[in-house]
Amino acid sequence: MSYDTHKTWLYRLEGRYIHLWQYIQGAATTTLGDYKIRLPGEYYGNQLIYPNEDITNGLRVEYTALIEPFVGDAWEDLTGRYSDDGISFTASTRVIALGAGNTWLSAGFADDDKIRIIGSASNDGDYTIDDGVGTSIAGGATSIDLISTDSLTDEAAGESITIYQIPDEDTTPDESNHVNLNRLLSLSVVDYLKAQLADMQGNVQMKEYYMREFWKKIGDNESNKRKISMTFPTSPYAIR
Amino acid sequence: MTIQELMERVGMKETTIAIAWIKDAFHLIQSNAKEHTKVQKINIIDGIRKYPFPADMISLKSISVKDTTDSKYKKIRRLVGEPTVTEDTDPE
Repeated sequence: MSYDTHKTWLYRLEGRYIHLWQYIQGAATTTLGDYKIRLPGEYYGNQLIYPNEDITNGLRVEYTALIEPFVGDAWEDLTGRYSDDGISFTASTRVIALGAGNTWLSAGFADDDKIRIIGSASNDGDYTIDDGVGTSIAGGATSIDLISTDSLTDEAAGESITIYQIPDEDTTPDESNHVNLNRLLSLSVVDYLKAQLADMQGNVQMKEYYMREFWKKIGDNESNKRKISMTFPTSPYAIR
Repeated sequence: MTIQELMERVGMKETTIAIAWIKDAFHLIQSNAKEHTKVQKINIIDGIRKYPFPADMISLKSISVKDTTDSKYKKIRRLVGEPTVTEDTDPE
């Protein structure tokens, strides 16, 4: 049984592999009859050993990848968001109800929107709205059903749940698809394209200029998320 | 912003190369800014230390191991340097 894994497990990077090590303080042992015995003459102390147990889904790797680069909606147009503890789920009809008086329209959703549910007891995941139940979403529906390929688990209201709209990926993109980036990062992609064009034309100076602009916008986008301000005094001889 | 709008801003006409370059730009953004992250879980097997990175990985954010006493994933630390292996049944 693994315990305090943040203290007793270590990893090492080796090419395209992760090497896992377990840190133990002990010695080599063997089982004799019903007794576990320490072998005489064996080293006792701090050791690194290979993982010594099976753990289902035990290793979790968080990483960046080329995730849904092209989507059907611009980030700025993703308006749907709703949080409440009155949301319930019905498996047989694939219905999600917001509760009395709360409409999907006022929460910013529409037909065919792709949604992500978080905070539920057993329905966290990505789904696609089919349409409103009883009336259309535009007509003020308080419940929606999902497309036939989606499935839900019965769940009564009570959990603090958030539903928000996510962009719908297109795996065969064409000119009408959006880049799955916000406006500023999309503008950085414009600089990148200009840099590549300049590179093709052999204009290295211009390529370097646009690559600098590319990285500058990525940096700006990152600093937009952090509330840190830096102020530098202007020296008396500074050129303005 | 649509692909068409990107191409118009740059003055490009070939969609295929534009999409390929946009993907390249995505790689650079994901490599440095970690705009979208993803999680993959792998079974840990008794006696096996070597586990492959996800094939689609651009940059690593964190590695965690499940603590089975409380069913929580806890970030583990990176070992710097090669450990001294005294007993190895499958040395490489």
